[in-house]
Amino acid sequence: MIPTDAPQIDILTISSAVLMIATFGVVVRRGFMDWLRAYRYQTMALSGVTAIIAYMTGIWEIYIAAALTLIIKAVAIPRVLLRVTSQVKFVARYELNPYISVRLSAIISALLVALAYFLTQQVPFRSDQILRAYLPVSLSLLFIGMFTMVNRRVALNQIVGLLIIENGLFLFATALTHGISLIIEIGVFIDILVGVIISAALMTRISHTFDNLNVDNLEHLRDDKEE
Amino acid sequence: MIQQLAASTGFSIIIVTLLLTPLAALVSTTLAGKKRNIETITAVSTFFILIQGIILVAAVISEKTVTAFNGIFYVDAFSAVILLPISLVGFVAALYSINYIGRQYNNGFMDHKQLVRYYQEFNLFIFTMLLVPVSNNLGLMWVAIEATTLVSVLLIMLYVKEDAIEAAWKYLIVATVGLSFAFFGITFFYYANTNVAASDLGDGWNWTTMLSNAKLFDPTVVKIAFIFILVGYGTKAGLAPMHTWLPDAHSEAPTPVSALLSGVLLNCAIYAIVRFHIISSNAIGSLFSSQLLIMLGVVSIGIAAASIYFQRDMKRMLAYSSVEHMGIVAFAIGTGGLIGVYGAMLHIINHAITKPLMFFASGTISQKFETKAMRHIRGVITVMPATGALFLLGGLAIAGMPPFNIFLSEFLILSSGFNSGQFIASSLVLLFLTVIFAGFTGHLVRMVFGTPRREMKKGDLGKFAVIPMIILVVLALILGVYVPEPLQILARGVSTIINQGDLPK
Repeated sequence: MIPTDAPQIDILTISSAVLMIATFGVVVRRGFMDWLRAYRYQTMALSGVTAIIAYMTGIWEIYIAAALTLIIKAVAIPRVLLRVTSQVKFVARYELNPYISVRLSAIISALLVALAYFLTQQVPFRSDQILRAYLPVSLSLLFIGMFTMVNRRVALNQIVGLLIIENGLFLFATALTHGISLIIEIGVFIDILVGVIISAALMTRISHTFDNLNVDNLEHLRDDKEE
Repeated sequence: MIQQLAASTGFSIIIVTLLLTPLAALVSTTLAGKKRNIETITAVSTFFILIQGIILVAAVISEKTVTAFNGIFYVDAFSAVILLPISLVGFVAALYSINYIGRQYNNGFMDHKQLVRYYQEFNLFIFTMLLVPVSNNLGLMWVAIEATTLVSVLLIMLYVKEDAIEAAWKYLIVATVGLSFAFFGITFFYYANTNVAASDLGDGWNWTTMLSNAKLFDPTVVKIAFIFILVGYGTKAGLAPMHTWLPDAHSEAPTPVSALLSGVLLNCAIYAIVRFHIISSNAIGSLFSSQLLIMLGVVSIGIAAASIYFQRDMKRMLAYSSVEHMGIVAFAIGTGGLIGVYGAMLHIINHAITKPLMFFASGTISQKFETKAMRHIRGVITVMPATGALFLLGGLAIAGMPPFNIFLSEFLILSSGFNSGQFIASSLVLLFLTVIFAGFTGHLVRMVFGTPRREMKKGDLGKFAVIPMIILVVLALILGVYVPEPLQILARGVSTIINQGDLPK
């Protein structure tokens, strides 16, 4: 049973705020290194949040999920991505020319967070401290991740956007179901790790073929054109 | 009791060996070394998979459902309809690979390392696809479907070509984002399930558990969940407007892989959608999910019609034809009823027979003519008589010409559409199908007949390029005039599952 006394609710509020701040770090920065660092902070915050959920529900499996998050997403995946950046040219590491300016991006992301809070109130979820605190945050991660993916031109940054979506997915699943079963979690983690490794391999190829990592290069395949 | 136990362990063994065969092939292709050995291993293992698939389907026909390992694996008539094409197309694609990939290797388009990687990934791809219809746990099914994406991205990026890299990148990004949506949907369903499961019914992620609890689900949650599922798995299934990755990926992949992607993989995603459609129908009535399926189906067929009509690239045309056929299946499931579902199941099988045939033929043709642009391909039948004839037959079949199999299922589906009162949607489908027929056969006839643009050496490209196509064309003709008894039983079984949603005892 989940206790509802005040101190823990404070922890919930504070931890979700930490998570949101880490997420905005991704939105407002240009350099890929800053992105990666922000993503790592976000993942560490997520791991902490998972541990809080584990403590409050008393389900030991969630501790394992928290540990896996820390090992795979905060250590292994940034390392894979760092290796790719060391192989591509300097130019590719900076998002000089996003489709929407950084300042406007921050405002749009804030609106997306508001939207997430509004939407979660429309659904009749059971009343539960964990749900109330983390569900809007997880939806915000989904929205912001999607927004950053379509907004950036550099392939590396698209992958970080995808990873933010995955973080949102993980938080959503953990908060809503109080721990998805361990075997599924491990499967999902393996999928994410393999996906990042494959995308790293692809990015190396893109950088070798096109000399940079802009996705603008990848607009060759169309219906109205012949080889 | 003892008999039951013996039967159930027997089925467990079949499912396990079915899943272990491609893994064993993966290991032995790694160790084999020589090209010839690798090809033989893959052909033999896929043949074993075909045999085991048929045994499993026979077991499903006699027992209705086969479960193994405490309900981790669950195979019913619907799974069987998906399993059958995987094992069949896997086998013919392995045969076709011997010629196609062998030729690419001999022409220097790939080195030995890439050849070994191709066959490893081919076997792994078969494994991940087999995992989808046999798993009862919907979370693990998601993991398997995401794994199919990852393995097929590896197969597409096998060639170090710009276009292949672009297609692989788009596919990876779009499909992974889509599947994240699907996972949100699954989590919603699980949440709905845990909220009502008072007694311990086993794993809440299992399809069987969800279905038996579905009547008590919260309607709002189910609606949101199904929309997430439809967008997510719909992306993977290539339903418009989420189909953008599909023409690129399917046209840039190596030809045997295109056949697997189009003929089989899309079915797996449709399978997942329909499983949740059943749960949603049981929870809130079928109207909500049916309407959505019909809408997406009609949009898919319409977009495919326009794209096929103005298409210039042969393999892209076939890819859009897959969008069309997945749209037809979604439409058929949406209209429902005995005939609608029966037609949908036949259509899944028919499409899985005909589309690989077309991809095989187009792969051989593009190897011979060294282009995929339809403008430059003329007089296929004079240059390569066998391939040209099979290409023509397959093209007529896939466009929906009688007496081929696709005509039969499309006819059933349309009549079900009109019977169920979906006049506007059904008329639109009929109109789009006419446009597709005109466009497709127009392109086809121009490619098959006429005189070749340049002097070419006559002759087909080896027996392994032709045999798989002959197998498929014979099946297409047989299924056009006569549906065998076992298939009828299966399709009717699925109708019961979808329309009544009852768990077979």
